[in-house]
Amino acid sequence: MAITFEKVNYEYDANSMWSQAALQGVNLHLESGILVGIAGATGSGKSTLLQMFNGILKPTSGTVQVLDITLKGGEKAPKLHQLRKRVGLVFQFPEQQLFEDTVEKDLCFGPINFGCSVDEAKERARKAMEKMGLDLSLLSRNPFQLSGGQMRKVAIASVLAMDPEIVVLDEPTATLDPVSRAELIQLLHRLCQEEGRTVIIVTHRMDELLPFANQWVILHEGRTVFQGTVKALIEQADQMESYGIVIPQSIRYWRAISEKFGLSGEDPCLSAEAMSKRIAELVSAEDV
Amino acid sequence: MSEKLLIGRTIDTGSWVHSIDPRAKMIAMMLYVVIIILSNTWLEMACVVVFSLAIIALTRIHIKYFIRAAKPLWVLMLFIFIVQCIKVVDKNGAILLSIGSWNLYVEGFKLGLFSVLRMVFLVSFTAILTFTTTPGRLNQGLEGVLKPLKVIRVSPDRFTLMVSIALRFIPSILEEAQIILKAQASRGADVRELPWKEKGKMLVSLLVPVTVGAFRRAEDLVHSMESRGFRLGEPRTKYHRLVWRSRDTIFIGFFIVMLIAMVWMSGYGTGELWTL
Repeated sequence: MAITFEKVNYEYDANSMWSQAALQGVNLHLESGILVGIAGATGSGKSTLLQMFNGILKPTSGTVQVLDITLKGGEKAPKLHQLRKRVGLVFQFPEQQLFEDTVEKDLCFGPINFGCSVDEAKERARKAMEKMGLDLSLLSRNPFQLSGGQMRKVAIASVLAMDPEIVVLDEPTATLDPVSRAELIQLLHRLCQEEGRTVIIVTHRMDELLPFANQWVILHEGRTVFQGTVKALIEQADQMESYGIVIPQSIRYWRAISEKFGLSGEDPCLSAEAMSKRIAELVSAEDV
Repeated sequence: MSEKLLIGRTIDTGSWVHSIDPRAKMIAMMLYVVIIILSNTWLEMACVVVFSLAIIALTRIHIKYFIRAAKPLWVLMLFIFIVQCIKVVDKNGAILLSIGSWNLYVEGFKLGLFSVLRMVFLVSFTAILTFTTTPGRLNQGLEGVLKPLKVIRVSPDRFTLMVSIALRFIPSILEEAQIILKAQASRGADVRELPWKEKGKMLVSLLVPVTVGAFRRAEDLVHSMESRGFRLGEPRTKYHRLVWRSRDTIFIGFFIVMLIAMVWMSGYGTGELWTL
């Protein structure tokens, strides 16, 4: 089990007049090596949840267990260095997290903190740049001269350079162009499939992630209202609207098709390619 | 970080004090400063304490927030107290404590204590202004209070615009710094877990991105204001207008009565009976 949450509560400004509950009684069980999508309306607690995965925020009460490290609400936290080495977190506005004067230094920051030699860190930086499809000539540039999309990619690369077991990303595809978006999702899928990492992605564009995600978590007003596979999600799709989420188009299409052709119980095809292939099969089968 | 910051945070309890005109509150605070400077004897100080607590009670805000407002200044207060104790040499006065050739005089101890008390009350009491007034109204109040400056050709709206933008930016900049700190912690450099020397380096490394961020914000703000037709110094229609009501006069009245009482007490020297 990669991540387990038990009855986790989190309050901002706890014990003051402005305290605000962000998470209430969250239970969560995520296996390692899977791709997880987290969805929810704005203000449902997604970003708060993510920041608990590597101990940036500690639970007000309840138990958070990530890999072999346990954080209990109200108890003093253990040293979190090891946890952060193994869990890479990309924030919502990654372009705000760059701070060094060259891209290379920024990419090496994480690896060096976690005990890599300078040469090794530089090697990792280059690999991460290649993975993100960034030109190596950018390494010597100042991150503040890059375009918005490039900054975002560099920020993601800087987390990948740490070689984390669990990669957590908060809306990584926002502000990227459509081509980069598709590429990024493909890359994250590969990280999970080929390298066996656990990838957790918060997204407002569920359609993008539906063909790839093994598990979905839906948050509503600080509670987990759904956790399960895509299949289960499709069955319960009608409830999504009450959680402030529009039912993704691919789910609506798939439901219409499966109703028409009586495909209930079949594994859903949610990408445009898979769906068109399936429809073609069905139509040609009818013609015969 | 932000959890401890009380600057500019309004605590809305909907009390009578909340509804007072911000201009009245500002004038009242100025009177309060004079009152507290005039309090030199135990009796006077006691009156000030009772008066302050009464007004604080009127706001219906828990006293712990007022105490917390003064807390960050404890080092300064301790310093003032110690300096007063060491500095005052009152050859004829009573000695409270003597260590070797150095004497702690009662007068010095009293002066130190008074300075600290004044400071505590000044800081916590004037917090009423920010606790009970929203930043927007506060700003309007400031503009109103500064109006007389027009005579010497200083434009109050220019000044208040500057102040309001500065105040508006404090939480944003702190937030930005916090995002970077969190991101750095995620990449293995947690400020809380680093040794002191590294800590300093870390905070210096924050300066560049935070400054860049502040400039970016300022530029966006200028553009968004200009695109909505804002021109400095031009007359503007106010959406909320301040109306002076009788309760505002009554509020200031409290402070004027208190001030007169203080002047009377020090004038007649009644306090001397009470001095140590």
